[in-house]
Amino acid sequence: MINRQIVICMACIMLLACLLPATLMAHGGVVEEDDLCIIKVNYLRAHFKIYQPRVAGHEQYCEDLPVASESVFVMEYQHDSLSSMPIDFRIIRDVTGKGRFARIEDVEGIADIDAATVFYRPAALEPDVYTVLHEFAEEGDFIGIVSATHPDTKKVYAAVFPFEVGFTGWGYWPFIIGLLIIIQFQYLFMSGRLKRWFGAAPVLACCLVLSPGVAEAEELVVTYSTPDGPVEINRMHSWVLHVATAEGEPVTGAQIEVDGGMPAHNHGLPTRPRITREIGDGDYQLDGVRFHMGGYWEIVVSVTTDAGTETIVIPLTL
Amino acid sequence: MNPDRLRITAAVAVAAVFASIWFLRDVEPAPWSDAEILLLQSLWLENLPELPPDPTNAVADNPQAAAFGQQLFLDTRLSANGAVSCATCHQPARRFTDGLGKGRGIGQSKRNTPSIVGTAYSPWLYWDGRRDSQWAQALSPLEDPAEHGSDRRSVLQVVADDERYRSTYEGLFGVLPELSAADDAYIDSAFANVGKAIAAFERTVLPTASRFDEYVAAAVARDTESQQSLFSDDEVRGLRLFIGEANCMQCHNGLLFTNNEFHNTGALSAVGEVPDKGRATGLTEVMRDPFNCRGEFNDDATPICDELDFARSGPELIGAVRTPSLRNLDGTAPFMHKGQLATLAAVLEHYNEAPDAMIGHNEAEPLGLSGRELQQLEAFLGTLTAPYRSQFDSM
Repeated sequence: MINRQIVICMACIMLLACLLPATLMAHGGVVEEDDLCIIKVNYLRAHFKIYQPRVAGHEQYCEDLPVASESVFVMEYQHDSLSSMPIDFRIIRDVTGKGRFARIEDVEGIADIDAATVFYRPAALEPDVYTVLHEFAEEGDFIGIVSATHPDTKKVYAAVFPFEVGFTGWGYWPFIIGLLIIIQFQYLFMSGRLKRWFGAAPVLACCLVLSPGVAEAEELVVTYSTPDGPVEINRMHSWVLHVATAEGEPVTGAQIEVDGGMPAHNHGLPTRPRITREIGDGDYQLDGVRFHMGGYWEIVVSVTTDAGTETIVIPLTL
Repeated sequence: MNPDRLRITAAVAVAAVFASIWFLRDVEPAPWSDAEILLLQSLWLENLPELPPDPTNAVADNPQAAAFGQQLFLDTRLSANGAVSCATCHQPARRFTDGLGKGRGIGQSKRNTPSIVGTAYSPWLYWDGRRDSQWAQALSPLEDPAEHGSDRRSVLQVVADDERYRSTYEGLFGVLPELSAADDAYIDSAFANVGKAIAAFERTVLPTASRFDEYVAAAVARDTESQQSLFSDDEVRGLRLFIGEANCMQCHNGLLFTNNEFHNTGALSAVGEVPDKGRATGLTEVMRDPFNCRGEFNDDATPICDELDFARSGPELIGAVRTPSLRNLDGTAPFMHKGQLATLAAVLEHYNEAPDAMIGHNEAEPLGLSGRELQQLEAFLGTLTAPYRSQFDSM
């Protein structure tokens, strides 16, 4: 009984420890979600990160920056529409006196925003990803303001994020959290719970692997031939795809989409191959096929007929 | 302590020392397997196919055009200040690079100067592939304010005013009329001709067999003695890592050690710059380049523009740059598209760590190689050094 109370107490402390930094971070337009730093410009979202490449290399920051240095602000759009919206980016010294709790209304109330501005990039279209660079001359409290203008409605969406340059860190928090984790681990270990969980883990894994393992029966068979010689890397190939039913009957008049890539490397083909003509008798000419590295590739062929769309994967090792 | 026990302890200690020396001694590298020999052959310059024809350039293989192109390549008059030629950045003595982080013409260029050796084999030019032929590429620096800072009319004026140039040009491309009276369309096509002559020269600049290629010849012949005299044990180990564990051949494959494709490998942004979007912008640019394969200056009556037709777009290209050749890295430091990394050791360290990219997604995975292994890789890369060759060696 006493043990259970200790556990509950620990859990509460740990929960608090975890929540505290999160609530601190969740101010203004930038929030941390699932370890990802997100900027919300109204309903538009982007993955937000700041780098100080000269002093911290590839280290990412969500808001507060350790020192006054060259800082690169990056927004990777989660909505394509941001690619077609002019975005302007402003950094002001915090003259609102609200510090971390400054909101858009506070910024709108500033009489002379230009006087407080340390960096301004006028509205510009930036496809794919938005980046700006500002070298901070001094440490202090700042507010970032991102505005995106809708190209049709001309409505302006804005996000405001207060941040600190010359940030002092979390103080003793990481140390305390670490200590709590050790205490908790120690308790779990002593109680034998850890052993039970780990003993159970392989069983759990098996269940997870087995459940979705039933493959759907395929109706169509796609084979390929390479009239211009064997497949080799770094050369454009022309293939002939043959589409047939499971019984070997050729399929004509199908709509075929082709894509693919290397699952192990998380990238696609270097080109966008497509069917350029139907040869007949279930044969289709596929042009623009190229592979740029050796290894395991998958060519994904989507065949659409009157009966529906079926996706066939052709494995290929080069 | 009991003397017996002391003696036993001493004996065990000595045995342990010998055992560790035995384990850590440099074991001779194992011979190459058949699969490895195949990989080595895929990198062997001996297998370099003949220069692919360039149907977009009617004078591509014309020796007069190449000689003319070489003169233009070295001519500083083709610049706004009369001091910059192609060879200012592409210095023949430095393997057609300049030893700078970013190229320097009239001003500071945007990226690191790539070599031109063997570029005739590449479907794309520039780090971001914003041009699709050597001749279209050759035109672009002439009008770049940071490079030659000239313009097409001024470039043609130099050709028109130099008697030798004029007669060579007219022999190749037909009469050059009075430029002040010529319309823009004519100027554009004459300007394209200048690029085609320069490309005819650049096509002749090719790599030659390096010590690595001799080594592969010995390995293919299973000539152990020659292999040992050609490569140190470290170089052999570096090569084994290169074709295996270090994953280098994912991109640096083929006879020129490049797949000529675009990859994001998470290099840090250059000082004072936002991260380079690379191919994401290069693709947009090549598609609208009036001198591209689909443009009216392509000499091919029935143009085949597979590279443009099947080019891939999409988020994978954010921050991706073209794989450079690894042949002849000697003297070409600093490295990467902005010259961010000063030494080859720093480049290898970067790939070993494979940090998250600032923009886009780093395709490389951390390698977990030891410092010793990185040194072996570097030793191997040194074996790829060899002089370039050209029909015009008077450089």
